[in-house]
Amino acid sequence: MAGPLDGIRVADFTWVWAGPTNTMQLAHMGAEVIRMETSKRICTLRMLPPWPEGKPDPNSSGYFNQYNQGKRAILLDLSKDEGAAIARRIVEMSDVAVENFAAGVINRLGLGYEDLRKVNDDIIMMSMSGYGATGPDKDFISYGPAQVPMSGLSSLTGYKGWGPMHVGMSYGDPTAGLHAAFAVIAALFYRDRTGKGQYIDMSQWESSMAVIGEAFMHQVMNGAPPERDGSHDPRMAPHNVYRCAGEDRWIAIGCGSDEEFGALCGAIGNAALVDDARFATLAERKANEDALDAAIESWTSEQDPFDAMEKLQAAGVAAYPPLVNQEVMESPQLAARDFWVEHEHPQVGVRRHAGIPWHLSETPLSVKRAAPVMGQDNAYVFGELLGMGSGEIAGLVEREVIR
Amino acid sequence: MMRLVMPDRALEGLTIIEVGTRGAASYGGKLLADLGADVIKVEPPTGDPDRALGPFPGGEVHREKSGTYLYLNTNKLGVTLDIASEKGRDVLGKLAAKADALIHDYPPAEAEAAGLTYDAIRAANPDIVMTSVTPFGQTGPQKDFKANDLTMQGAGGWLWINGQPGEPEMPPLKAFGRQPSYQGGVNGALATMGALYGRSRGGPGQHIDISIQECIAAILELTLPMWSYLKTPVVRWGQRPIHPIDMFQCKDGAWVFVLCIEEHQWERLVELMETPEWATWEVAADRFVRASNWDALRPFMEEWVSQWNADDLYRAAQDKRIPFAPVSTLGNLLDSDHLKERGFFVEVTHPEAGTLEHAGAPYTLSETPWEIRSPAPTLGQHNAEVFGGRLGLSGAEIEALEAEGVV
Repeated sequence: MAGPLDGIRVADFTWVWAGPTNTMQLAHMGAEVIRMETSKRICTLRMLPPWPEGKPDPNSSGYFNQYNQGKRAILLDLSKDEGAAIARRIVEMSDVAVENFAAGVINRLGLGYEDLRKVNDDIIMMSMSGYGATGPDKDFISYGPAQVPMSGLSSLTGYKGWGPMHVGMSYGDPTAGLHAAFAVIAALFYRDRTGKGQYIDMSQWESSMAVIGEAFMHQVMNGAPPERDGSHDPRMAPHNVYRCAGEDRWIAIGCGSDEEFGALCGAIGNAALVDDARFATLAERKANEDALDAAIESWTSEQDPFDAMEKLQAAGVAAYPPLVNQEVMESPQLAARDFWVEHEHPQVGVRRHAGIPWHLSETPLSVKRAAPVMGQDNAYVFGELLGMGSGEIAGLVEREVIR
Repeated sequence: MMRLVMPDRALEGLTIIEVGTRGAASYGGKLLADLGADVIKVEPPTGDPDRALGPFPGGEVHREKSGTYLYLNTNKLGVTLDIASEKGRDVLGKLAAKADALIHDYPPAEAEAAGLTYDAIRAANPDIVMTSVTPFGQTGPQKDFKANDLTMQGAGGWLWINGQPGEPEMPPLKAFGRQPSYQGGVNGALATMGALYGRSRGGPGQHIDISIQECIAAILELTLPMWSYLKTPVVRWGQRPIHPIDMFQCKDGAWVFVLCIEEHQWERLVELMETPEWATWEVAADRFVRASNWDALRPFMEEWVSQWNADDLYRAAQDKRIPFAPVSTLGNLLDSDHLKERGFFVEVTHPEAGTLEHAGAPYTLSETPWEIRSPAPTLGQHNAEVFGGRLGLSGAEIEALEAEGVV
């Protein structure tokens, strides 16, 4: 049975990470996503590692290949009038157009919302930018890693008494991309009922703040943000990352109730902890958290992290080691759920990529194909979709419109 | 599904039942409600645990004033129902019968015990889309593992990469808040919306099984390819193959985020720094080389940054189209002229909690604006409206359910 977005076509002008994350979700659901790229200015992700054997090649970046699965790609120089005209023809036969150029660029190319409406009056167009399409700083430039500090997430994250921290990845990008894909489908749903397309202004900064909403409530209610306190939690104790046996080995443990704390004490063979007045209630455990953490770490530091996880889980305690990348990719849980995608790719062969986190019972989704190499679908798009003859295509290549 | 001639809101006419106690369903429900879906939030008679989570004004616990609850439940109708009781289950079935989708976040064993299974819900409504957002999904050897937002950051592979680089004594660090739950929520809303859209075009009702572990593993930037392409283990904040990507404290005590992605941005930064000698050294020659030598170069950058006030430096860099960013405090954000002009923060007035500014729209739709139509419901606020008005239960029937503690 067809995927939910089967028959939907997406004109994909995006690059770097946020935009491609959005359009990959749409591809996961069955949409035909056509990436328009140019070798004149290669997508940032294609020029970032990892590449097999560390050899830079725009067609073999693992970073690009992870977030562009299931898409098609053509070469088209949008800065040429002829290229922009072809892009408008692609938009004419599309349902959705997504771009994340710097502010104003898409309009200068003759591919702004008003231009696209002229060729396709119910097009859904989304602009994804760091700051949004309006506001005094709309022309500022931004990338996903900057959204972590900009959104306030950095100032909230950190060890007690230390400075603000990044969160280790460009979290603003996937957060924006997932919210964006949801908004696109909502707009499609509306279009089908009313015949009306629309323009969606997506600010990465704003979607990044949407996922720390409770922190803003703290600030608004009490005039101050929640304090940085490592991996502690105001409503749970113990709640931390504890050292295990071995180099750089750890386990995350969190107890949500007195019962779970009792179960933890039993599992670590330290029943005396339960009776210790310093740890009798959540309030006491919070007040004596350093001593509590030390007592727990005296057990974990002798344990293999996975053994500790099994022992604690058997007792009903939430515990999991922080998995390093290899362990994620070899996780028995993820393997059992068939999470991984391993398509043959012309440049990198078969590599393992993260798949689709939603498992649909009646219309199961699958990644249709590996991420495209540059220009992979020129023949399909220019020939089959746009009906150009080989002479016409050769002329476009010669005039460097296709490049 | 109700058909409307010209709805004002993108999702107007959709009815969603939300049964959640862990944040993920609440956030998914909020995303749907804020674009116009009719979301009926089903809480246990004691209330969603988020009502006890806070933050609270002055730290004083009050079930109608929890900031987490107030933020996550705008635009919803709120009812109370003990779904674990037989009569409660029956009422839930009646709600499901009139709904387009049901989204919940009960882990498999708890859902099974409460009768919150796809078989039961489908029996009430064969066309429904039912979405289960759980830590590890419905299948696999760890499906019943206990979990929370901290351990899920671990299981997804995120915790390992967060923390202070170069400090082997410091543990991996949790990112603030409930990010795995939020990711489960946005994935839940996205997949639910996809399936509903498919259904509106002739597709079937169905069950969607979402694993939060997978939601996290799917967004780790280049963490996983580092293994599948290079067999290289990642380290704390180690996925920075290019530099500068770093954070520094400025003269005024505020912090700034120093970032150059493209080489031409670095060239303009060197100009802004007035071409110091170190920036011309071989070890700073390009973004990859700078990354290999960042430990040696970092002190020079730190020294230069420390001569600036943070906001001045941020704006000076942006003037030269270098993508520096502020390390914002929440106070900075609430005061931001840019966000004010865009109307990002919105005032929401709640009958008990008063008027509070909320983080607002993650996207701006030209025809069907995101909007707050009503604040989070008080506990059981819409029992009469939903059980009476929508399900047609009589006053006596509702009273009987109340007397038995079902409602």
